[in-house]
Amino acid sequence: MEELDPVELLSYLEGILESDPLIDEIGFIHPSHFASLNEDIGTPSTSVGSVQKKTSGTLFWGRDHKLGISTNVLFPLYVAAKNAFLEAYKNYKVHHRDDKNASSCSSSSPLSLESELMKHSRALLLLSCDFGTAWNSRKLVLSKKQSLSMFMNELIFSSVVLSHSPKSEQTWSQRRWVVKMIAGNCSNLREIMERESELVKKLAERSKMNYRAWYHRCWLVSYMSEEQMLQEFNKSREWAGLHVADNSCFHYRARLMLRLFKESQHSQDQDASFDPELHELLKDEFDWVEKLIKRYVGREALWLHRRFLSTCWIRYFACGDHNRTLPSNPRNIRTVDIDMFIDNELELFCSCTILPDSDFEDYQAQATFAATYMVWLKTQLSGALAIDIQKMETSRLKSLLTNVCPEKSLLWNSLPELCEST
Amino acid sequence: MGELLVEKHAKYIITVEKRKDDFESVVMEHLRLNGAYWGLTTLDIMGKLGAVEQDEVISWVMQCQHESGGFGGNIGHDPHLLYTLSAIQVLALFDKLHVLDIDKVSNYIAGLQNEDGSFSGDIWGEVDTRFSYISILSLTLLHRLDKIDVGKAVKYIISCKNVDGGFGCTPGAESHAGQIFCCVAALAITGSLHHVDKDLLGWWLCERQVKSGGLNGRPEKLPDVCCSCDIVISISKSVMSFIDSHVVASQVCYSWWVLSSLIMIDRVHWIDKGKLVQFILDCQDKENGGISDRPDDAVDVFHTYFGVAGLSLLEYPGIKPIDPAYALPVDVVNRVMLGR
Repeated sequence: MEELDPVELLSYLEGILESDPLIDEIGFIHPSHFASLNEDIGTPSTSVGSVQKKTSGTLFWGRDHKLGISTNVLFPLYVAAKNAFLEAYKNYKVHHRDDKNASSCSSSSPLSLESELMKHSRALLLLSCDFGTAWNSRKLVLSKKQSLSMFMNELIFSSVVLSHSPKSEQTWSQRRWVVKMIAGNCSNLREIMERESELVKKLAERSKMNYRAWYHRCWLVSYMSEEQMLQEFNKSREWAGLHVADNSCFHYRARLMLRLFKESQHSQDQDASFDPELHELLKDEFDWVEKLIKRYVGREALWLHRRFLSTCWIRYFACGDHNRTLPSNPRNIRTVDIDMFIDNELELFCSCTILPDSDFEDYQAQATFAATYMVWLKTQLSGALAIDIQKMETSRLKSLLTNVCPEKSLLWNSLPELCEST
Repeated sequence: MGELLVEKHAKYIITVEKRKDDFESVVMEHLRLNGAYWGLTTLDIMGKLGAVEQDEVISWVMQCQHESGGFGGNIGHDPHLLYTLSAIQVLALFDKLHVLDIDKVSNYIAGLQNEDGSFSGDIWGEVDTRFSYISILSLTLLHRLDKIDVGKAVKYIISCKNVDGGFGCTPGAESHAGQIFCCVAALAITGSLHHVDKDLLGWWLCERQVKSGGLNGRPEKLPDVCCSCDIVISISKSVMSFIDSHVVASQVCYSWWVLSSLIMIDRVHWIDKGKLVQFILDCQDKENGGISDRPDDAVDVFHTYFGVAGLSLLEYPGIKPIDPAYALPVDVVNRVMLGR
C-alpha cells in the first residue's frame, strides 16, 4: 500500500461525505474484497469522487449511497480524524467561552468553527462509534442551534453509524437525546416514533439479540398514545413469530401490554378486568404463543413469555378486584375462567413433556421449560389466589426435571417452590 | 483440569496496555480508564499489582479529571460517571484516594441525581440503573453517601424490577445480567436487599447456566451465527461498551455478573460451580495469556478481568478474594471502609 498523508485521507473521506448526503450505509472492507465487489457490479466504482485514480479503487468504495472504507487506512484515518476533532472542539469551546464573556476576539467565524466541528466529529464517529466526547460535541452545537432540521439530520447521521455498529450504546443514546429535544415541539412525533421503531426492527434483523436496539424501542413506548401502542403490538407480532429465539422482541410485546393494562386502569378508574378488548388481546397472545411453542420445540423465550402472560392474566383478570372477593363474585365467571385456564395449561404441559424414543435435545429442553413453567404457574396461583393445582404434584415436577435436565439438579434441589411439602 | 496461568495473564495485561499502533487498540482509547480498572484489578487479584509503575498511572488518572470533578475516559475526553467510578477504584487499589478532592468529586456525582431518585450518566441526561450503582458505590468509597437521597435512589432501582424478578436499565426495560448485577449490588451496599425476591431472581439467574457450564446473560442459549453483511467485516470488537456488545451465548463476562449477584442474594449454591470454573479456564489463551469471551475466541482485557474475578468469586486457590458488590479485592474494601 502506498503511503498516504493521513490528513489528505481524512479530507478525502470528508469530501465523500459532503458530496453525498444520502449515504445510508457504511462498512469497513478488507482490501481483498474490493476487486470482487467491483466484479460483482461489472464496472469499477466511480461515485467516490476525484481522488487520484491509482488509489480510488482500493481505499474507498462507493455505490448506491453505500460507502466502504478499506481496513488498510482505518488506523491513519482514525488518528487524523481524532486530532482534527479535538482541535475543532477546543476552538469551538474557546470561542463560546469568549462569547459568554462578551469579548469575542476569535479569529474564525463562529459558523466555520461549528461546521468544522460537525464535519470532523462525523468522520470520527463513523470510524469510532462509541467516542462519547464526539457525540457530546454535536449535542452542544445542536442545543445551541435548536433547529428542527439539524435535529432530523442527526437522526439520519446516527442511523448511518448504526448501519455499521448496530449495538453502539452511545449512538442509540444520541437518538434518545434528539427525540427528547424535539418531542415537545414537533407536530409529527407519531411519525418519528414509527420511524424509530422501524429502524430497530430493521437493525434487529441483522444483529440478533441486540439489547441496546430493543431497549431503544421499549423506551419509545412512553411517548406513544394508546392507539399507537396497539398498532405497535400488532405490527411486532409477525417479526416475533419469525424470530422465536429473540427474547427482546417478546419483552417488547410484554412492555406494550403492561402499558396498555396500566392505561386502561387509569382511564377506567378500576381494574382492567372489565376491559373486554384487553382480555381478548391477552387471550389471543396465549393462543398464538401456544401455537409457536408447539411448532418451535424447546425455545426458552416462548416459555418465558408464557410465564409473563400467565402472571398478567392472574394479576389483571383472575384477581382484578382490589379486595379479592373472588368466591363471592356474583356471576362466578372468574372461578369458571380459572378452571378452564388451569386445564388448558395442564394440557399444554402434558403434550410438551412427551419425549420421543430417540432423545433429541430440543425435546428435553421443551420438557424442562414445560415443567419449570408449571412450577411458575403453581407459585403464581398459590401466591395470588391461594389456589393449588392439585392435579400436578410438586414431586412429579421435580422428578421430571431431574430426569430431563440433570445438569441443573442443584437448582431443582434448592428451589423452594420444588421443596414444599408434598 | 487446566489451571489459571497467572504469569501469562499478568504479562498479557501489561503489554496490551502499551499497544498503541493498530486500529483495534486505539479505537478503545475513549474508555481507557475503564480498561485500567479492569487490568489493574485483575493484576491485584493475582498478586501482581507491583509490576505496574504506580506514579505514572496515578498521574495519568488525575489528568483525566475535569473542572466539574468528574473524570473522562482518557485525557481530553468529556467526564462521565462510568469513568469517574473507574478512577476512584484505581486510586483505591493503590491506596491513593487521598490525592482526590473528595468533595469536588462527590459533588459532581451527587449533582447528577434526578428528582425521581435516578442518576444521569453525565450532563446530557441519559438515565440508567448502572449509573445508580456507580453513584452509590463511588460515594460509599468516598464516605459521602449522605450527599444523595439514598431512599429515592433505592426506590428508583426497585421501580426497574420486572415480573421475572430481574432488573433493566429503566422501568419496563428487559432484564439483563449486567443490569441485575448493578441493581443488586447497589441494593446490597445500601442495605436494601430485602426488596429483592431472592428465590425468584435466583431462579432466573440459575437458568442462565447452559450445558457447557458457562452462563449467558439473557434467555436463549442459541449461539446465533452473526449474519452481518458478508462483504463488510466488523472489526469493532472494540464496541464492548460495558454491556452486551456481542451475541448472547454463554460468555465469561456473564460469569461475573450472574455469580456476584447470586452470592449477594445467597443463592450461589444453586449452580454448578465446578463446571463454571472449568468453562472459564477453557477460555484462556494458553500461549500468550489473556481470557476470551468463550473458548477459542480472541482475548481482551475486559474478559480477562471478568474471568479472573469470576474465579476469585468461585474461591479458586492462590488468588485474592474479590468483593461481589464493590468489585474490588476484599482487602482493598476493608482498607477503604474500615481503615484496614
